[in-house]
Amino acid sequence: MSQEEDSLTKNVRLRLGFADQLREVTVTTPKDEPRPWDADSALTVVGQPTPRVEGSLKASGAAVYTHDVRLPGMLYAAILRSPHACATLEHLDVAAALAQPGVVAAVPLAKVGDRLRFAGHDVAALAARSRDEARAALSAIAVRYRPEPFVVDTLEAMQPGAPQVHAAAVSERRTEGDEPGEASGGAARGNVRLGPSQSKGDHKKGLRQAKVTHSATYTTQVHTHSALETHSLVVRWEDPRRMTVWCSTQGIFSVRDEMAEIFGLKPADVRVITEHLGGGFGAKFGASAPGSRLGYAAGELARRAGAPVSLCLDRREEQLCTGNRPDSIQQVTLGAGADGALTAIHVVAHGSGGIATGAGVGRSAFGVYSRCPNIKVESHDVFTNAGPSTAFRAPGHPQGAFAIELAIDELAQKMGRDPLALRLAHVEHAVRRYQLELGRERFQWAARRAEAEARRARGARIRHGVGVACSIWGDYGRAKAAVVTVSVGRDGAIFVRNGAQDLGTGIRTVLGQVVAEVLGRPLAEVTVLIGDSELGPSVGSGGSQTTSSVAPAARNAAEMVRAQLAELAARLLDRPISELSWGTDGSARAGRRSLPFRELCQKIEGEAVVASATRPKTYGAHPMRYPGGDNYQIAGVQFAAVELDTWTGELRAAEILAIHECGRTHNPLTARSQVQGGVLLGVSYALMEARVIDRRFGQVLNPNLESYKIAGARDLPAIDVVFCEVHTGANSTGAVGIGEPATIPTAASIACAALHAIGRPVRSLPITPDRVLAALAGQDGA
Amino acid sequence: MTGATKLTRRGLLRGFGAAPVIASCAGPSSGEAAAEAVSPADPLIDAVAIGPGLAPLDLRLNGAARTVEAAPQATLLALLRDQLAITGTKEVCDRGACGACNVLIDGEVRSACMTLAHDVAGREVTTVEGLATSGAPSPLQRAFVELDALQCGYCTSGMLISCSALLSRARGPLSRAQIQGAIAGNLCRCGCYEQVIAATLSAAGERSAL
Repeated sequence: MSQEEDSLTKNVRLRLGFADQLREVTVTTPKDEPRPWDADSALTVVGQPTPRVEGSLKASGAAVYTHDVRLPGMLYAAILRSPHACATLEHLDVAAALAQPGVVAAVPLAKVGDRLRFAGHDVAALAARSRDEARAALSAIAVRYRPEPFVVDTLEAMQPGAPQVHAAAVSERRTEGDEPGEASGGAARGNVRLGPSQSKGDHKKGLRQAKVTHSATYTTQVHTHSALETHSLVVRWEDPRRMTVWCSTQGIFSVRDEMAEIFGLKPADVRVITEHLGGGFGAKFGASAPGSRLGYAAGELARRAGAPVSLCLDRREEQLCTGNRPDSIQQVTLGAGADGALTAIHVVAHGSGGIATGAGVGRSAFGVYSRCPNIKVESHDVFTNAGPSTAFRAPGHPQGAFAIELAIDELAQKMGRDPLALRLAHVEHAVRRYQLELGRERFQWAARRAEAEARRARGARIRHGVGVACSIWGDYGRAKAAVVTVSVGRDGAIFVRNGAQDLGTGIRTVLGQVVAEVLGRPLAEVTVLIGDSELGPSVGSGGSQTTSSVAPAARNAAEMVRAQLAELAARLLDRPISELSWGTDGSARAGRRSLPFRELCQKIEGEAVVASATRPKTYGAHPMRYPGGDNYQIAGVQFAAVELDTWTGELRAAEILAIHECGRTHNPLTARSQVQGGVLLGVSYALMEARVIDRRFGQVLNPNLESYKIAGARDLPAIDVVFCEVHTGANSTGAVGIGEPATIPTAASIACAALHAIGRPVRSLPITPDRVLAALAGQDGA
Repeated sequence: MTGATKLTRRGLLRGFGAAPVIASCAGPSSGEAAAEAVSPADPLIDAVAIGPGLAPLDLRLNGAARTVEAAPQATLLALLRDQLAITGTKEVCDRGACGACNVLIDGEVRSACMTLAHDVAGREVTTVEGLATSGAPSPLQRAFVELDALQCGYCTSGMLISCSALLSRARGPLSRAQIQGAIAGNLCRCGCYEQVIAATLSAAGERSAL
């Protein structure tokens, strides 16, 4: 280490690890970094189950979402969308719409000659004094389409001679919701665009060495985000160079940048506000939806009308144009030696994100069973004339986990091995091994497997099945991206400010807890202000990185404020600062003298003590090697028990044990809710949800919430959430992400449990009664 | 049908039994048969013809008497959210599939998106904003917060309405199945059902302990 670097860093000894596997580790941090919280840190606010601070606003109806913004003179926008799966726009004239009652402005969103590539593509937008008037006036827009051949089925689109969805090369569009990594290369063959592959060893050699092989095709469906609040924004021009945007977004700053770019403004002249948002799940980055230029439409209508414009998609538009989880067709080949050791994993995946890229299958096959020496995972995009995909809670992973985990179970079945034992033999990650062993006991794996097999053997009508699957995700906490400001006023008021948005995960509460912890004050005395670009730079809420990027920055800022207060106290108490300590009630102490927090605050010179801070890059301390990736790999496992009615084919998720970690769990109450939500999303994906698209007409048949089935209260399994706290020493609070890992293994574990109950695999999601009955009737794969 | 025709969405939705439909379509001058077919106490049937423009209606909203003007085709949801700017009630599907816009009409749970504004004339409408008593949240609202029965919060007002109605109509101790039934029409995408059930059980327990 150079002398210069040395002067900027320091070494600290921390106790890191998990459960009974804790050890002393030396960690190198920047010199001004507080000592990271480790296993020995006794915290009193962080780590306590804490109701979310905005809870009463949400439970009283007072919380303001973008849909609720009401401004004087505000107009309502509506968008005309192409009804054709593929068409060329031959004529478009919005002028006639301007004569309709209440209409104030209209703008084309497509040009004559444009190819409109899916049913739902933007054509034109208008703004009127009421929503009814806006929607009614859409029919006055003069438009003519020339329908063209199209393809909406992924397999059909892969055939030579299929209608070509894109004439030119398509570059990959990534958002903060995507897992960081390389964008795919993009060479295209017909509608197939070659994606990146993950590779180690020589999978061909591994397959040649194998004594047992298993090869099968697994398919998954298109899954829509279906956030309850549809994509929406309200734009108000303050003057010709400045605008305020209220937006239902996971990324306030990506909205700011997009609006600035569209309208040629300075980013600093675009203010974005997201006080609350009604879910996003990855689809709400940027001002626009993946399949609709909402930012341009609302901003341009507002500019032309000289009035604020509210653009809130209706449910149908939300289901058609705002993103989805791509489908997949995965050819999985596994090889194992006579001793049962995996010699090769090979996955070739094709998937369609409609007109968009992004149909990879994650890192489960590559990163989880890392003792397998030869692995190759190839994933390719297939373009179809359907609404574009976008990041959806753990992009690629649930579909990838489903295929590899079910294939592992089928291989185990073929070899007569216990699928959990087979997994343990190939998992290197110490935390994941611990979780698998913990789950084996807690879920009574052996006894339940035996009971289920006995039922199957005696031909019981109601059968049981038990399965297990793993998740892998990275610690993507970002350095220097979030700047948090903490202030303590002369009246003792504590404020925390940052431009993050609360997706529903509870980041407001976590920020308050961290600052309350450092200052030794009750959470109720801390006011957290977020949801506004003017509150300081922050990260988008995607990739499970919000808490790990923002909470350490909050701690660092609070520590700086405390240091300033300590200096003041030392002066007041007339003692050297080295003698000063900070009481758990926020009082400053030196020797036998102490100064209560309020009294100290009254002596602040000026209005307040203020400090802003960010966090450095992950120190990356423990464990030093992360099987499956370069940065810390977050481990999680889920065990599923299913109940099967062999007469009706109905398969129910009865119980899920979800064992996860998010480094130091900052708020167990909200973290638990988040894991339960991830599990339920996975149950819904496994058993119910599927976007249905008509092949002959290219229309989505269920762009709604009554025939697109999402899990309700009666579909809820018993969910047992266990946090296995890991002290990683990664950052000053020890936070790592949880949002995505929680939903990755659910569908996979249910599919494995279904195999156990039926005796044969259902290799297609969702596992609906018809597929179950076909499997029961002896059709492999259904 | 004559100029004095009145047609209500509720009258139609009541079913396709001939008598109620005929009755609700009948003008003041039609025969006694129609008058006998309906309950004279039903305020909907006594309404005068409305539209096509705005027409006034009286209702009680969250305990206060209100006179508002609404177009005949306006839904109760549009009246609340767009016209009165009372936005606690959310629009999610706009077709009765998700429960996010649930309100109480004379104490019964109804989808505001499937109810015409003029159908609540003379009735008592309670939205999530009306669940508190002089500013103090109800025990159910408190339990929702304490037990974290909400994440993004967009389904919360509908959930609260469904569970409040269950609490006021249920006799004796509540079961999980009863609560699951009460919220079977309320979709939550964040996955809070377990906590909603726990919060409702907790509020019911608090009530029975009184």
